[in-house]
Amino acid sequence: MRNIQTVAANTFREAVRDRVLYNLVFFALLMMGAAILVGQISIGIEEDVIVSLGLSAISVIGIFIAMFLGVALVSREMDKRTLYALLAKPVKRWEFLLGKFFGLVMTLTVNTAAMATGLYMALWTVKHPLLKSDAFILAAVYLILLKLALIVALALLFSCFTTPFLAILFTAGIYVAGLFAADLRIIHGVGLDPGTLRLMRAISYLLPNFQNFNVMGAVVHGRGVPAAIIWHATLYAIVYIAIVLTGAAVVFSRRNLK
Amino acid sequence: MSKRASYGLLLGASLLAGFVGVWKLQEKVDAERTALRLEADELTLRSPGVMKKLSLEYAPLMGAIYWTRAVQYYGQKHHLGDQNLELLWPLLDISSTLDPNLIVAYRFGATFLSDAPPRGAGEPEKAVELLERGIKANPEFWRFYQDLGDVYYFDEKNYLKASQAFEEGSRNPAALPWMKTMAAKIAAEGGSLETSYALWLDVYQTSTNKDMRKNAEDHLRLVQAEMDIREINKTADAYEKGTKHRASRISELVQAGLLSGQPRDPDGFAYVLNDHGVAELNPKSPLREEWLRENKKLMK
Repeated sequence: MRNIQTVAANTFREAVRDRVLYNLVFFALLMMGAAILVGQISIGIEEDVIVSLGLSAISVIGIFIAMFLGVALVSREMDKRTLYALLAKPVKRWEFLLGKFFGLVMTLTVNTAAMATGLYMALWTVKHPLLKSDAFILAAVYLILLKLALIVALALLFSCFTTPFLAILFTAGIYVAGLFAADLRIIHGVGLDPGTLRLMRAISYLLPNFQNFNVMGAVVHGRGVPAAIIWHATLYAIVYIAIVLTGAAVVFSRRNLK
Repeated sequence: MSKRASYGLLLGASLLAGFVGVWKLQEKVDAERTALRLEADELTLRSPGVMKKLSLEYAPLMGAIYWTRAVQYYGQKHHLGDQNLELLWPLLDISSTLDPNLIVAYRFGATFLSDAPPRGAGEPEKAVELLERGIKANPEFWRFYQDLGDVYYFDEKNYLKASQAFEEGSRNPAALPWMKTMAAKIAAEGGSLETSYALWLDVYQTSTNKDMRKNAEDHLRLVQAEMDIREINKTADAYEKGTKHRASRISELVQAGLLSGQPRDPDGFAYVLNDHGVAELNPKSPLREEWLRENKKLMK
């Protein structure tokens, strides 16, 4: 446990030093500021556009960070050969992976919190005081964070057995496929045989369903998110992340690092 | 002046001249493009379903962007006096598919679509389709029934359907009691001016958007003028009955004691009688053009 904490703290410290992160967060805040202007050239959507643009910015920037930094977590250590020095110490490979995962999730939490603060500030400039329903935005932000944690886990898994470029491609591919996971279940009448339909149904459940974390449509219009959705999405993320990280640990443990 | 300072001055002046040149050139290009009616109207993807898929999890944001495009498109066309609004429906179709809960897109979109040219696209049947879609996606929002009733009433002149829309909306527990009253009033009186006035007055009183209020206010002034003209004509008819000749000026009606004074339209312009002794708006009245257009529509 102590080893995981140490690796996580170092990963966080390393990420905080990365200037790219600050630029990305700044870009997201800029987008939220721009949302105020977008709202003014439209009719009746001033607040909607701030919330939707703000949440989208948090999500997109977060995905970039999760994918690129997630893939670099292991590969960079290998390139710099710091991994060998670290693994020579009494640190197990799975502990190293878990530490890296939690370190990046911690970084993402801080970034997301900063961007969410920016979103609330942008919202406050067009309407104050804020309403009780504006608190629902926090639920959307929380679910985005869960999604980002899942993406980090996937990026880590792929980076354990392939090149960084391919790992990014695979992670992005799974993310996009995961957004359409539910659609695979409703493909009917296209001349597919029952076997193929069953296979597609199975794939749809095996893929990480990223739509589980998407409540933007409701939150943008001030509608609440039922606690059951948040609770089940949390459980889904925990279980899926555990599966992916276990897979990553197995692959990484067997990998020949020589 | 040192060599360095004069070099800096020269550079600054060149940059300034360059920017002024670019500015002027852009103005020229803008004028040429306007003359050519080259519009940035292209809507590459017209399939709402495909757009929704391509938007991934960002459909609400894309919906807001498409709605903004629709507003800008409508505003620009209105500004240019161009009545060709062929992209209005595809833009509204996409924005309401991307975000089915974007209430404003249905309500304003229906107004843009249903209003007769030059105000709108003159496509009330599309407005009905849009509102029915809005009702399906947001059954709790009773105001859609009011909008639907308004489109049937004002643009389609289908008073039965207008009454049915208000009646259906009144069944929503959240609906205001006047919805039921309005349903009954329309069913009983059809297209009376008093009913039109009451409908526009409600739009005026309940709209929070200034453009919507302005639109309602314009219509209220027009309906008020119509009611005034109707009353003046009634008076002129009475005058004709008593004197056996048709009045040619309103002052004759005043002198006969049938009118207490020179009646004026909501903008303060005196009503006049035409060559046939029928009341109409003063040629100087800003309302006259719209009034003539409305009457022409009714004559058809």
